[in-house]
Amino acid sequence: MVKKSISRALSLFLAVVLTAAVAGCSSNNGAASSGAASGANGDSSKKVALTFFSNLPDRSTGQGLLEQQLIDNFTKENTNVSVTVQSLQDDPYKQKFKTYVAANNLPDVFMVWGQPSFFQSIMEQGYAAELNKGDYDSYDFLPGSLDGFSLNGKLYGLPRNSDFMALFYNSKILSDNGLQPPQSTSDFTAMAQKLKAKGISLFAIGGQEKWPLAILWNDMVVKETGSDKVVRDAFTKQDFSDPKLLQASTDFQKLAKSGIFQASISTDKTADAQNLFAQGKAAMYYSGEWDMSMATNDAFSEDFRKNLKVMAFPTAEGGSGKLTDIMGWNGGGYAVSAKSPNKDAAVKLVNYILKPENWTKSGWEQGLIVPAQKFTDYMTGKETEVQKSLVNILSTATSTSGTPVNDSGSAQFKTDFETAVQELATGMIKPDKFIQTLNDSVKANPVS
Amino acid sequence: MHRVLSNKRAIFWMVFPGFAVFCFAVFIPLFYSVFLGMTDWRGYGEIHMVWAQNFSKILFHDPVFWISLKNALLLAVLTMLIQHPVALLFAYLIAKVGGKREKLFRTLFFVPCVISTVVTSRMWVAFLSPTYGLVNHFLKAVGLGFLQTDWLSNQRTAIYALIFVIMWQGFGWAMLIYYSGIKGLPKDIMEAAKVDGANRFNLLWHITLPLLRPVIVVNLTVALISSFKQMETIFLTTNGGPGNTTQFIANYLYTEAFSAQKYGYANAISVLFVVICILATVILNHSLKRDAIES
Repeated sequence: MVKKSISRALSLFLAVVLTAAVAGCSSNNGAASSGAASGANGDSSKKVALTFFSNLPDRSTGQGLLEQQLIDNFTKENTNVSVTVQSLQDDPYKQKFKTYVAANNLPDVFMVWGQPSFFQSIMEQGYAAELNKGDYDSYDFLPGSLDGFSLNGKLYGLPRNSDFMALFYNSKILSDNGLQPPQSTSDFTAMAQKLKAKGISLFAIGGQEKWPLAILWNDMVVKETGSDKVVRDAFTKQDFSDPKLLQASTDFQKLAKSGIFQASISTDKTADAQNLFAQGKAAMYYSGEWDMSMATNDAFSEDFRKNLKVMAFPTAEGGSGKLTDIMGWNGGGYAVSAKSPNKDAAVKLVNYILKPENWTKSGWEQGLIVPAQKFTDYMTGKETEVQKSLVNILSTATSTSGTPVNDSGSAQFKTDFETAVQELATGMIKPDKFIQTLNDSVKANPVS
Repeated sequence: MHRVLSNKRAIFWMVFPGFAVFCFAVFIPLFYSVFLGMTDWRGYGEIHMVWAQNFSKILFHDPVFWISLKNALLLAVLTMLIQHPVALLFAYLIAKVGGKREKLFRTLFFVPCVISTVVTSRMWVAFLSPTYGLVNHFLKAVGLGFLQTDWLSNQRTAIYALIFVIMWQGFGWAMLIYYSGIKGLPKDIMEAAKVDGANRFNLLWHITLPLLRPVIVVNLTVALISSFKQMETIFLTTNGGPGNTTQFIANYLYTEAFSAQKYGYANAISVLFVVICILATVILNHSLKRDAIES
């Protein structure tokens, strides 16, 4: 009898110990979430723990440092608030973000791209908290900059910067080889051939990430047709068969085949392409205004920084687009989780970061960004040549494209478009097959 | 203790926690994955049943899935035909060296397996770079400049360059398992064969290899499953490109889930992925099982 009791006790003990060990994991999570919920009512005497998800992983230089400094300043002014930052580069950011969405467990504050392929479903499904438009009357956001962050007249996010594409180039490489900055895209081929003999590529572009190729294709459409209208119409009609798009695709592939890109196009990420450019292995680098800090970043050689110039992507021979018709949109910004137990504090943090005297003033003065807010009051006269050129490109623009083609459709369309444009660039498919792929994808995956 | 172990209720309570953990960690996710594979779930919002639609689309209308499967099979075949015979030969030679040199070689060949896949993948991207890469510089230096190419961006060479990198990364594991097998072989049989006049080749062909058969079967099975599961190196080098030339199943389902936001579809791919892995393993084991020598 005693032995039977011992055996029961022994087996019960083992069961309890093992079950408790398993349960231990979940109890930790529970403690964490209850702690985070303690400041839900926004009472300044209560501790509030915010989570902040950023796409700026370099917290020691550039925009990442600025973002971190503003968060630190916020927590100094609001001593009851602590902020845990998690940051990843764009692609892993997007993937982890989707995991958070799938688990319905978004961080309190998160970075968003104000583009249909990324943010529309988030707004529609109620994951982002509505923001009070009236709070931003004094923020001087540029006209249209809030459009990608709004749905049915309601505001769900705020933009950080004015994003637009440009062609960075190394003036020394061009002059050493008797070359001038290109007047039109038809100059590219001859320039590429001349530089190839010296082991230098004309263009460096982050082809592995694919999106720069997609935007370049879109830029060529704008330069050949004068606007982005033909792309917008294609989305409306769910048909990319317009001859102008086929022509732009043919010209895009012709340029690619003529060897304007670096040979390692399919394996180079944007950072690799930037590295090739900075090392003098490429004369030009197709990127956005967000790379303007190359002119002030000590990580790059002084020689490179001195010779760094930027221009608008050139016109196309015979095209109706002007140099001032540019690829421009308001991409990155912030939103607050609708489920956040600390919504008030999270909104307060976003509002603090994007106060004109914070992000806009500091970012502009440090040569990091072209803001999404009016920034003429913060011009110091000490801006770099690159900054001045970029401001000139933006301020003289006669048309801006809006969201690039790859981000204007569904997530599946984005994947299909980007894969197809990489295939087009590497000569794997012909332009008519490319158009067919876009048609199949846009019909199968209409924007919701 | 004997009384405890003969008590069915006690056995049940001791087994239950482990079984419960196993259910939560394996069975429930697997069934949930099968369920999600029959839906059009996008990772958020409502779930709609589409039943077998995803599976039929994958099998009959998804060329990328078949490219991914073909690449996985190519990797598996080349691994078995090239990596494993070489690994077995090196393991045999190292086992024969003896002394400090044996330890040195064993360590040297295993080093790539200790280094993070992230590091070795990016290292090979740099080695194979058409701009900076050592491989192209070497080819030029030895008068084979005509062979220079953009190894990982050229659609004709990308898959083979990638397979070479993966085989290099896994070589140490394959070799170490064979080495352990060789070291564990009974010495008395070897001695008896030597006494009977067997030379080195006879020893290798008629004694060592037959006795190693169970190790070879396990090693090839692991290689097969690893080939199908391959993900990190692809993601870190070509990410399936150019286009989908170097796409593999695990990387493809990851892209479908986290880039295209088709969680339902990606789950259907993962279910088929499991089925294919099991089938391939069964076929391989069955084909290698015949006349296996029990050691």
